[in-house]
Formats: sequence, C-alpha cells, structure tokens
Amino acid sequence: MPSAVFRPTTTFSATNSQAIEAGFMPARRSAVITAVKELSEGIIRLTFADAYIAEHAQPAQFVNLYLPDPLHTAPRPFGVSEVNGEEVSLIFAVVGVGTERFAQLQPGDTVDVLGPLGRPFNLEQSGHYVLVGGGLGVPPLIKAAQDLSRRADVQCTAVFGYRDDHFADEYVKRYADFAFSIDESEGNVITLLDRIEARHAGQRSAQPKILVCGPLGMMKAVAAWTSRRNLSCQLSMEQRMGCGYGTCVVCTVDTKYGRKKVCSDGPVFNAQDMGWNE
Amino acid sequence: MQVLDQTTSHTDDLNLYASHAWRHSTVVAGVHWKNPVGTASGTFQYAAVRNFYDVSQLGAVSTKGVSPEPWEGNPGVRTAEAPAGTVNAVGLQNPGVDAYLEDELPKLKAIDATVVTNVAGHSDDEYAEVVSKLEDSDADMLEINVSCPNVTAGGISVGTDPQALSRLITRLRKLTTKPMVVKLTPNVTDITVIAKAAVEAGADALSMINTLLGMRINIRTGEPIIANITGGLSGPAVFPVGLACVYRVRTALPDTPIIGIGGIDSGEKALEYLYAGANAVEVGGAALLDPLAPLRVARELELLLDERPELSAKLAKGESWR
Repeated sequence: MPSAVFRPTTTFSATNSQAIEAGFMPARRSAVITAVKELSEGIIRLTFADAYIAEHAQPAQFVNLYLPDPLHTAPRPFGVSEVNGEEVSLIFAVVGVGTERFAQLQPGDTVDVLGPLGRPFNLEQSGHYVLVGGGLGVPPLIKAAQDLSRRADVQCTAVFGYRDDHFADEYVKRYADFAFSIDESEGNVITLLDRIEARHAGQRSAQPKILVCGPLGMMKAVAAWTSRRNLSCQLSMEQRMGCGYGTCVVCTVDTKYGRKKVCSDGPVFNAQDMGWNE
Repeated sequence: MQVLDQTTSHTDDLNLYASHAWRHSTVVAGVHWKNPVGTASGTFQYAAVRNFYDVSQLGAVSTKGVSPEPWEGNPGVRTAEAPAGTVNAVGLQNPGVDAYLEDELPKLKAIDATVVTNVAGHSDDEYAEVVSKLEDSDADMLEINVSCPNVTAGGISVGTDPQALSRLITRLRKLTTKPMVVKLTPNVTDITVIAKAAVEAGADALSMINTLLGMRINIRTGEPIIANITGGLSGPAVFPVGLACVYRVRTALPDTPIIGIGGIDSGEKALEYLYAGANAVEVGGAALLDPLAPLRVARELELLLDERPELSAKLAKGESWR
C-alpha cells in the first residue's frame, strides 16, 4: 500500500490551470526552484516559478511554503519580495528547522506552495509613498517599490533599517526613486524619517502615504510618528499561522475592532485601527 | 488493504475540480451524506474555503463552534508546531450564533451543503440558548462541543464528567428535534463511559476525537509558546488515538452512529476509520495544510470503496462495518 505518512500518494490532479478553469484559486501545489542566493550570512533569497502567484501577487501578500517532512507540517508564510516574469522571489532569515531546510534547496528542486494570500497594501491613490521597513520586514516593501516603479502617478521613497548588513539595498535601489538605509550603529528608521522631514521643511508638498513592515516595536514607533503628523499609515503585521488562508483563526492580532486574523483580515492594517496611540 | 487500483473504470477523470457524481454515500443518524467525508469543526470556515473548491461536494461540513454571543477567544500566540501535528489554543473565537444564522449557514445552504452546526457554551444555559436558536434553522445536524480543551468553562469540563454530560444532553434533547451529535474528547480514562452517558441522555450520534491536550515550550525562554499554556494537539500524530477511540466506542455501542475524526489525510486513513466502525469521517488538521484535502480524501476513499461493495452497502443503509 502507499506509505501515506502525511500527504497521500494521490492519483488525483489539482493543477493551477484546472483550478482556474473551474473558477477557483489554485490550492497547494509544487513549484520548481529557479534560484537560491545568500544575500548575507543567514539571509536567503529564494526564487521559484509559479505563473499564478507571479500574475496575482500584490505587495504585502505572502506565500506559504511547506516542508516535505511528515514531522514538520505547519505552513511557513513569507512575503513576496519580487516578481520577474513567472518567477517569484522571497527573502528570509534562517531561524529554525523550516528556514534551514528551505535554505538548502537548489535550482531544479521543488517545494510546495500556496498563495498569494492575505490583504495587500492599498496603493490605489497617486502621490508620494514612503516605505518604512526594518530587518525581515523589508522584503514585502521591495515588492511595493517594484509595483510603484511601473506607475507614472506615484513617487516612492524607501526608508530601511537593518541590524547590520544592508542585505536588501541592492534590490530596493532598482525600484525606489529615493532609498535611504541605516543600521543600528547609526540609528533607526525614525532617525531617517526625522532627517528627511527636516530636509523638506518649509517645502510645500503633498502628504506622503506611509507603508510599514518590520518588528512590532518599530511599527509602533512609526505609527506614533505618523499619527502625530496625521499621515496615512498602513502596517503589514506578522503572527504565527496555522493555515494562512483564513480558516483556523490562530494568527490573530488585537485591534480596536476586536481580534483580527493576520492572514486574511491582514496582514495589512491601518495604523489608526490598532488602538496603539490611545 | 490494497493499493489504489488505477485500472478501475472510474479513474477516467482524475481532475479534482471536475464535477463528480458520488458513488458511495452514507447515512448518519438519518441524515444522508453524499459521501462519507466531511470537514472537522474548527478547521472549516466557508468564507475562506469557498475560494478553493465547491464545498457542497463534501459529505458534510461541520462549521466552527458557535456560542450565544461573539467570543474573542484566547490571546496570541495560539499555535505551535509539534511532531507530526500542531498544538492550537484558539478558544472558540466566533461571531456568535446570530451572525452565523445570518451569514455562514444561509450561504452554505444556498449551495446545498449538508451542514453540521457545532455548538459551544460556557454553561448549560449557553448551550441551551444556542440549540434553541438553531432549532428553526436549516442546519442538518447539531454537534455539541463538550470536548474543547482550550476554554475555561464548558467544553472539556463537561465532556470528561459523565454526570455533567448526561445533565446537559438530557436538557438539550428536549430543545431540539434535529439529529444531535456529541463530540467526545480522548482526554479521559475510559471514553466508552462518556459515550454511553451521551447516548443514554439522548445523543443520536457521536463524533470523535477532539484534540489531545498538549503544549510546547520555548527553550530559549523556558516559557510555554502558547499564551494559553496548553492547547489541543491535532494532525497525523493523533491518527491511531482517534482510531482506537472509535473502535472501543463501536464495541461498547454497536448501534450508535459514529463520525471518526483524527489525523485523516488520505483515503487509506479514512478507510481505516470505517473498518474501525465509523459511519463517516471528518478531515481536520490536513485541511489547514491544503484547503483541498477533504475533497481529495473523499475522492481517494471513493476509489477504495469501489473495491469494497460490502462496506459501501452497509454505509448506504446507515450501518457500520462492525
């Protein structure tokens, strides 16, 4: 008999095209790795081919990866950092058993994926977007910069803080109109935001729209900074997930409107809805 | 047990999304299921799953527990990975029975799904209030959750005490004519004692198992990972536990319909539950790892039942294998 330890040896097919033809979003499927690059020690950029994710992924949306291991079954969600043609890139730090194994993948290997998932940043308005990222919150903002770079009606400034190595600068500089980054020895993103604000003091310009992704403390600081200036601020949150698609309700975050699911009510929330400044 | 036979005449269409005429049905407490596979409560929410497939294809869907008022559930972190499974402590977060009756239930009935509505409460009064509100609804069956390990009152505190359970089910029986399933916990010394108490008090059927009590600790901090400290273990790890519970309850209660739950992620494992004496099964944790898992299990089981006409015939009549 088939060794049905975790995922059964199934005779059935559920391809992207079969799903789309039936009017559904593709479910979990296998994708081929096309590139793996170590950006700095323990920081990996993983690229795989999936035409559906490539076509539909919006900034702050994420993709679940799964280990081919019956002992470690939980989904590992990663924000999409870039799309080029049919190829999708993610950037992650090696922090545990899952990321360790994904870091060892080689081009030609396959990995199970589900996505794109989650509510993306709202980029409908024209004007000036300021992307504020910290550490592993930077990758989803690269995707925001990439999408904004294709539009004539927007301007994009990236403000990134790193612990030490500026691992993502190479990518964001391709897309942002202005890119500033800082590491912990020099200050943080608030230091940069203050400097940029001072430089533009007295100039009459439209209110920037802030997009933030990073550690909770950083996001709270940026939310407070934007709140004092009455600026629009969208946050992309992170939480341990059980399914990633809105069904299990384990990835909740407390908001002014109750406990919300990071995976499907978010990951993007408006800063003013978090109740942090009250 | 035999290997999936790919030469069977029914394997001409292996596209999971293709419309499908089910060949093997079951009957649970008088309710017809178009196939023996449903979703387990807590792992199915229509608004999320509807994006991925037509859920009315399943034998039944068991929806998340609903309480008289909206419940916020437990604070985060609510989940931790475990060997071949996960430990979860959601605490039955739900929008309340009124929202359920206005939103999820009518949407599921509009697509003609067979719906098992899971009922939660902190007290006998709360369970009674929900059951009363569901009595005039289109729910096909009610499933009384007396086995959640993650709430401070109700849940497992009722399902581990035969007298408390008997008192609750006796009261609920008077409030509803709908088929009433009682969902049992494996966290007891002898599950057959609890099972008998439920049936003697008026349960029409039993479902088992809910999750096993478990926890994980972060060795960097020495503290529990889950804010609730303990949670419920589900996933492939619990498969043999659920199977043994079904077998033992079937032996003790030969005529009570049983829905087998626990670690099912393939047609083969579903078939083991049917051979243990279940009339139907539900897929839970596997659906969190692939939204299509319940449908895939249903189709895999169907191929296995093609080769087992005697078992199929028993299920169709509302009987179990043993």
